[in-house]
Amino acid sequence: MNLTVNGVETELVSPPLASLLHVLREELGVTSPKAGCQQGGCGACTVLVDGQPRRACLVPLGAVAGAEVVTVEGLGSLDGLSPVQAAFHERYAAQCGFCTSGMMIAAHAYIERGGTGERATILEALGGHVCRCTGYTKIVEAVGAAARGEVAPADVQADFDPQPGEPEILVKGAPA
Amino acid sequence: MTAARPEVLLPSSPEDAIEAFGDGTDVTVVAGGTIVMPDLTYGRLQPTRALLLTRSGLDTITREGGTVRLGATVPVAALEDSPEPLASTALHVADVEIRSQGTVGGNLCAPPGAGAPRGDLQAPLIALGARVRSAGAGGQRTEAVEEFLANGSREGRLVLELEFEEPQAGARAALDRPHTHDYTALSVAACRGADGAVRLAASGAAPHGIRLPSAERAYAQGGDAERAGREAIADASFADDALASAWYREQMLPVLVRRALTDLQETA
Amino acid sequence: MKAVGARLPRYDGLAHVTGRTTYVDDVRAPGLLWTKALRSPHHSARIVNIDTSRAEQHPGVRAVITQADVPQNVYGHLEALGVPADEPLLADGEVRYRGQPIAAVAAEDEATAREALELITVEYEEREPLFDIRLAFDPGAPTVHEWGPVFPHFGPHRQRRVRKGDVEGAFDRAHVIVEGVYRPGAIEHVPIEPQTALVVPEADGRLTIYSCTQAMYFSMGVVAQHLQLPLNRLKFVGGTVGGGFGGKVDTASETISALLALKAQRPVKWRWTREEEFLASSTRAPWHIELADAVTEDGWILGRRTLTLHDAGAYTRFSSYGLTKHAFHHAGAYTIPNVHFDGFVVYSNRVPTTAMRGFGVTSVSYAVELHMSRIAEVLGMDPWELRLKNANRIGDVTPNLVRLKDPSTVPVMQAAAERVGVELRPEYRSMSSEPRSGDLLPEHLVGNAGQTNGTEAR
Repeated sequence: MNLTVNGVETELVSPPLASLLHVLREELGVTSPKAGCQQGGCGACTVLVDGQPRRACLVPLGAVAGAEVVTVEGLGSLDGLSPVQAAFHERYAAQCGFCTSGMMIAAHAYIERGGTGERATILEALGGHVCRCTGYTKIVEAVGAAARGEVAPADVQADFDPQPGEPEILVKGAPA
Repeated sequence: MTAARPEVLLPSSPEDAIEAFGDGTDVTVVAGGTIVMPDLTYGRLQPTRALLLTRSGLDTITREGGTVRLGATVPVAALEDSPEPLASTALHVADVEIRSQGTVGGNLCAPPGAGAPRGDLQAPLIALGARVRSAGAGGQRTEAVEEFLANGSREGRLVLELEFEEPQAGARAALDRPHTHDYTALSVAACRGADGAVRLAASGAAPHGIRLPSAERAYAQGGDAERAGREAIADASFADDALASAWYREQMLPVLVRRALTDLQETA
Repeated sequence: MKAVGARLPRYDGLAHVTGRTTYVDDVRAPGLLWTKALRSPHHSARIVNIDTSRAEQHPGVRAVITQADVPQNVYGHLEALGVPADEPLLADGEVRYRGQPIAAVAAEDEATAREALELITVEYEEREPLFDIRLAFDPGAPTVHEWGPVFPHFGPHRQRRVRKGDVEGAFDRAHVIVEGVYRPGAIEHVPIEPQTALVVPEADGRLTIYSCTQAMYFSMGVVAQHLQLPLNRLKFVGGTVGGGFGGKVDTASETISALLALKAQRPVKWRWTREEEFLASSTRAPWHIELADAVTEDGWILGRRTLTLHDAGAYTRFSSYGLTKHAFHHAGAYTIPNVHFDGFVVYSNRVPTTAMRGFGVTSVSYAVELHMSRIAEVLGMDPWELRLKNANRIGDVTPNLVRLKDPSTVPVMQAAAERVGVELRPEYRSMSSEPRSGDLLPEHLVGNAGQTNGTEAR
């Protein structure tokens, strides 16, 4: 069985009833989608399957053979963040970060299908995603900012050196 | 190691699906996966054979000559444009992502929930007078949704298609869930069919969606929504669950019936 | 203090948004075994017999453990602070809550581990459980622990006590006694990351433990004690916790995983299911709080009696600490010179309770604030004014004899009132935290031992 994951076509050995979440995490080592509940209730496992947001824990591999799967790793990277990633970082939309992958995939899909950033539409699109840390306010703000193109990825510096006049940062950031 | 891996069948046409299903013995049907996959993940289901309907071509919606046909694997999300009360009910199932994965056939066949009602689409389908065509032992047959549910067909048959006539009007009244992670404790679906007859059904008033014939009869005799609501209780078999007590549901069913009928009256 | 007020990027922010933050479940270890725990289906029962032999022989199972495999099975979360232990890592002879772990299995995959659980036979003798802590003191109530219904190690009393001033006198002098009972319920933490541990047995005999704990050094100590290993045999790798909120301080998965890893000599991962999180993980405790305030008709609180029952669940864990904090704050942000507080840690056959955001204090704040509003209602007084009137002032002494240097009740309330558009009367708008004196010093706050402020030399 084949899947194209983040642009790379791969042949898989997992059985057809294995969940896409299990396949991504355990067989392919793609760990951004998380096992928060494994019953479709939290949204942390959400990935794009042929452009559509899907709960990976609910998708049997056999149902998506040959499909294109995109996870957060495929949305962008440190030196090329997607607008959603840039907005989530800039607007402090992640605290512990565990729900963040699913939120960003849902946000990405929302914007791709024309989401304007109007609050009610964001709540509708992300309504299946649970966050226990943030209280959702900053997440909704970040999705709106991304929808309106308010955060340019180029402006989000991976370089943590302080600018003139800014306080010195004693602990430099790096991927955890 | 674990038991032998299940045989997985991936039919690529309705005919192949029917043949693969056979008489349904030892076959687990997987449509959207929203109900079956957690059971597989947690070991509650250990199928010998699994039938994945993803490619079976059962996902079409047609509307012609006043008749709507829904294939078994039409996603719940696609019902948002269907006639009321199906559309509103569909919008109140889970969240947009689950609705895009879950199917109308899967919802129809949902087993009773442990702590909350499942299969919310059953009631509006009953109210619409929908008939379900299924395959299994003895071949294909078509029956009213309320009969399909009552005679245990959910457990042993492969749903192929649902069909109903576009109604004149439809209405939904429900104890609205507080958020998308909750279930609707009780809801009533009302329809004035193409033939002018009013049909009523309820979700959460029994282990599955039920028709409310006593309420329908009462309403037919004079259009008294209040009286129809009271008569509806005779059709129900309320139970306590995690969301609401049987007692509370009994208080609320007449209210919801009355509201649904009143809304129906006000719709042209 | 260069960072205060500055807009700094989260140092982990870019990792979060690129999916590169490594949680315990994301750590890869070749040859990993998966864990499942056999949990008690009963709320209270004696374990007559347990047989793991069939599970041990099941193909794909690499280790099975019970209490017999634990070098020191009973170790308390606060033992290092002098609180005696009462909780077994794995049940020994009895179970006291539904979900209590009895045995654990490590196998080649999750399904095999689950099958192995089915092959463990346990014979139980069910006992009557206790769920309502108010009944715990009744003769004939089901017992949870043999020493009685409450935590017995507070000192000379089996409770927390605060006695200050003359509560009897206050109640005699009061115009009104206002009573209330407040029962905040249990709350589940529900972190999106379930409890997860990964333990790798190293070739040099050490254990590398990837842990989701909120308290690394604490958990290290707990694991070391249970395993009777010196600390330098353990290497704890913490990192980003996928939500804890107080629920990941119980070291709930590391020790059992470590024992399985030692026995199997293979890396072992234990990731709780969402069902286990709801069933077996600790919760915020339910409390039963009774307040009775002696109040004058013009809104002075002369005295307060408090009775608190804290539901610890089946074992103590941190409950003694939570009740202690609760006791400190039973006057709230207000100066009440005469107090009588009795608080008990009471056991029940529920999941053991633990810390959660504000542990111990949120419950008493909830009760106190509702009670203040109730008092205002009874007196027909504005609830803001009642609070400002009784608010702490500089130099006031709390029930546990802390002399306040800079209480913020008054300015915070005034700022809050302004924020929400409540217009305070001039007298209240001009109040300050300065010690009351002269006409503003009410009779009940004068002189009474260790009382107050302004009139004293200190």
